[in-house]
Amino acid sequence: MVDSLLSARGLNKQFRSGNEPVPVLTDLSLHLERGESLALTGRSGSGKSTLLNILCGLEHPDSGRVQVLGETFDSRAPQTGNRVEARWGNLRRQQIGVVFQEANLMPALSLLDNVRLRARLAGHDDDGCQDWLERLGIGELADRFPDQVSGGQRQRAALAMVFAMKPALILADEPTGSLDRHTAEAVIGQLFDLQARHGCGLILATHDPELATRCSQHLDLGHLPEN
Amino acid sequence: MTLLAALFSHYRRHPLQLLALATMIVLATMLWSGVHHLTSQARASLDQSESAVAERQQVERKDGERVTVADFVELRRQGLCVMPWLEVSSPEGGRVVGVDPLAAGCFESPDSEETPWRGELEGRPFVDISEAADLAREQTGQLSLLMSDAHSARDLPSAYRLAPFRVGPDTGELGDSFLLNLDALGVLVLLITALLVRSVYLLGMAQRRDSFALLHRFGVSRARINRLLVFEIMLLALVCILPGIWLGRWLANGLGTGFGRALEGLFDQPLYAGQDGGWLMPLATMLAVVLVACLADFLRPLARRLPGDGQRYGVLLALILMGGIAMSVWVSTLIWLFVAVAVVFVAAGTLAPMLISRLADWRAGSDKDPLSRWRHRELSVLARRLALPLVALQFAMAMVLAVQALVTTFESTFDRWLAQRLEADFYIEVPQSVDLTPAMDWLSEQPELAASGLWHRVVRGRATLPGESNEAGTKVDVFALGPIGPLVTGWQLFESTARPWQSLQQGHGVMVNEQLARRQGVTTGQSLTVELGSQELELPVLGIYPDYGRPAGEILLNVSVLPPDFIPSFQSLSISPGDLTIETVTRRLKEIWRVEELTVRDNRAIEDLASAIFDQTFLLTRAMTTLTLILAAIALLMMGWVFFSTRAWYFRLLVVWGLSRRQASGQLIRLSVSLTSAIALLALPMGIWLTWVLVHRINPLAFGWSLPMAIYPGFWFELGVLSLLIGLSIALLMSRQLRSPASVPGNANALAGGER
Repeated sequence: MVDSLLSARGLNKQFRSGNEPVPVLTDLSLHLERGESLALTGRSGSGKSTLLNILCGLEHPDSGRVQVLGETFDSRAPQTGNRVEARWGNLRRQQIGVVFQEANLMPALSLLDNVRLRARLAGHDDDGCQDWLERLGIGELADRFPDQVSGGQRQRAALAMVFAMKPALILADEPTGSLDRHTAEAVIGQLFDLQARHGCGLILATHDPELATRCSQHLDLGHLPEN
Repeated sequence: MTLLAALFSHYRRHPLQLLALATMIVLATMLWSGVHHLTSQARASLDQSESAVAERQQVERKDGERVTVADFVELRRQGLCVMPWLEVSSPEGGRVVGVDPLAAGCFESPDSEETPWRGELEGRPFVDISEAADLAREQTGQLSLLMSDAHSARDLPSAYRLAPFRVGPDTGELGDSFLLNLDALGVLVLLITALLVRSVYLLGMAQRRDSFALLHRFGVSRARINRLLVFEIMLLALVCILPGIWLGRWLANGLGTGFGRALEGLFDQPLYAGQDGGWLMPLATMLAVVLVACLADFLRPLARRLPGDGQRYGVLLALILMGGIAMSVWVSTLIWLFVAVAVVFVAAGTLAPMLISRLADWRAGSDKDPLSRWRHRELSVLARRLALPLVALQFAMAMVLAVQALVTTFESTFDRWLAQRLEADFYIEVPQSVDLTPAMDWLSEQPELAASGLWHRVVRGRATLPGESNEAGTKVDVFALGPIGPLVTGWQLFESTARPWQSLQQGHGVMVNEQLARRQGVTTGQSLTVELGSQELELPVLGIYPDYGRPAGEILLNVSVLPPDFIPSFQSLSISPGDLTIETVTRRLKEIWRVEELTVRDNRAIEDLASAIFDQTFLLTRAMTTLTLILAAIALLMMGWVFFSTRAWYFRLLVVWGLSRRQASGQLIRLSVSLTSAIALLALPMGIWLTWVLVHRINPLAFGWSLPMAIYPGFWFELGVLSLLIGLSIALLMSRQLRSPASVPGNANALAGGER
């Protein structure tokens, strides 16, 4: 499958609450092709963020297999932690862009420097960084610091950072959760627009059912797990 | 939930922060009350020692024989107030003094409720005279008969005369020097600990400001919130200060054992008993320090104090700093010098974090690499946010640097000086009323001594430097030698005329000690008018010599210059007998002077004892400064931990962006090591300046003598290594936070670590 971007099989993950195990993900599987988008919905605590963290290697499943951009991570494979971390690190650095609900920017750097830093880490030069800010409508704010702009402008800068690294996959964890409806629509519109134009995959965790319908796939992680 | 519970809920959620604040108050109290307790003990002990060794009068036989029990009985029968004082070498080392408490009763003054001997004669080494007499059967003992000041020489039978009696050397001034150093150390420690407590407290306050705003919106007045905060910190202070004081006393008593030994050696008496000091003074002081340190902003908000423009503020501080330094060069009184030191500390302390922050911003501005730019921007934020513990560390480092340099200089200088002063192997006290001429003739005739030249006579007494017209003259000590030979010609001189020792040998001039030269503005070459006995002599100054440990002025001259009516207070012969042996010399001198006993002192033993005393004394000073440094380092570590936990997300973000945890930790290490290295670099000039102030300004102003200014790059290296270790420790502690997933900061404002 040449176009297969991401597939996960039989993912299991549980946390502990005191001495009690709390299952978060149980035998979960998903598949995403290039250019596709997947909405993850579910109540708070249903495991959306945990799944996104597993799909970019920030957390590891108790069992299961993740295949992403030609790299396979199998919980049963005998590999040293450092080696696995290095492979995930390379993927996140160059191909997987992650957007959180907030605090995606370094507060001590200007918006432009934040974008430059992200592009440089991905191995690109920083020539196009100002362009990305322009395309997201915040070009004139390039020299401002994160605390000098609004929440919506900060999230646009976060998208500029992700697109400046030219990712193959974007993982967005409720990227508009802290924005008002009007700003949220504008930001999410830009996200879908750019994702479609660049043909990268998108996994979007959201509480908004309407937003979920805009994605080509929908995975509902459902209610809170028992206990 | 009550208002109080709502207000204090912060610490329920952040128990580590409460623990950090409590620990800091306990440690700060421990350190300061330790220094304070030690200083109080030392002061009390030195007062007691000085009182015990104060000059008294004793009865001597005019025929030069030693007094005996028969003399005591004879004098008591005459109705005189005399007390026997029997000194015996103790088998356990040191000496034991036997006194007769019944005989001491007559020393009691009718006007005073206190017996003059009561406090001084309690405990070892003072024992009942019968016990000392038992010991004296096996060891050599020396009986003296002390007489009450109520009697004069006229009251004595004709066969007796009065002579001064001292228990030990007068080292009061040396003690004062030591106490002044301890006091200064105490003030610095108090300043540093206040900074540390404030830094920990302010961090918690910054995080609680949102809660206060919420309570205010709920209708609670600011005044009420402030009152509750005062109550909170007072309660915490009281709970923490008491164990801190207890720990401080424990620390002081532990360190005081060494100091006790030093005093024992110094005064030949175990006087450092570690008495129970008061609790009220340390409690009140630390309570005031904690309250002021934590609540200073209530009295005068910081924001209102600072000029708006940061650059202008920096320039103003730089000017104040330069003014303070200039003041330290020009002022001529101790009080103003201390003011200058305070000004320099305040200005340098305020400037240091600002300077690091500015430099980091400047570096960030010129960085091409965005990651390096980010790191420098983070450094700038850190320098501002950790300003107080950083400044405390800077002060502690500067203090350690200065104290180390001072102590090391003092040790080496003192050792060299002492070796010069005690060049001869022995000195023999010359008994009262003997004729020295035949003894001097015999010594001159000995071929061994003629070849080596290693002997001379020493005469001590007092002289006067006449004052201007109506002014009273200045009393100075006289130190007369003859012949002038190799025992003294190797002495280091600060300045001298050509061939000074030859001129001194010929009686063509006088040398003065540094104290006298400084006080009287004496320079070599000029003439000095000296009243010696009934004569007034005009003598050229041939040189200035170092004379450490006491402020008294002294003149050094040839014995031949002394007029016949000069009254010596003490005479001795310094001698290195070589093949002649000291036994031969003393046997012959006893024959010449017709005495049974001679007091012979071994200078090597005195030198060893003096060195041991200073080693102990400086060990104490070093220990206290090192403890202060450790406390400052711990505080920075704690603050670094708390503050980094609010910034951990941004390091985590680097991991999200693809850096490995090892690489993110590497950034952390570079950041924290840069910070601690920068503060160590800034502590360096401050430490050198402080050394200079101690050596060239405070000591001469307080005691009249100075030390050579020496700097020790070895200490700089040690300080550099230390700062590296502190930086690495912070980074390693913080790296642990990167291992677990960090939560996104609740809001990206200054309180949650979102400051830029």
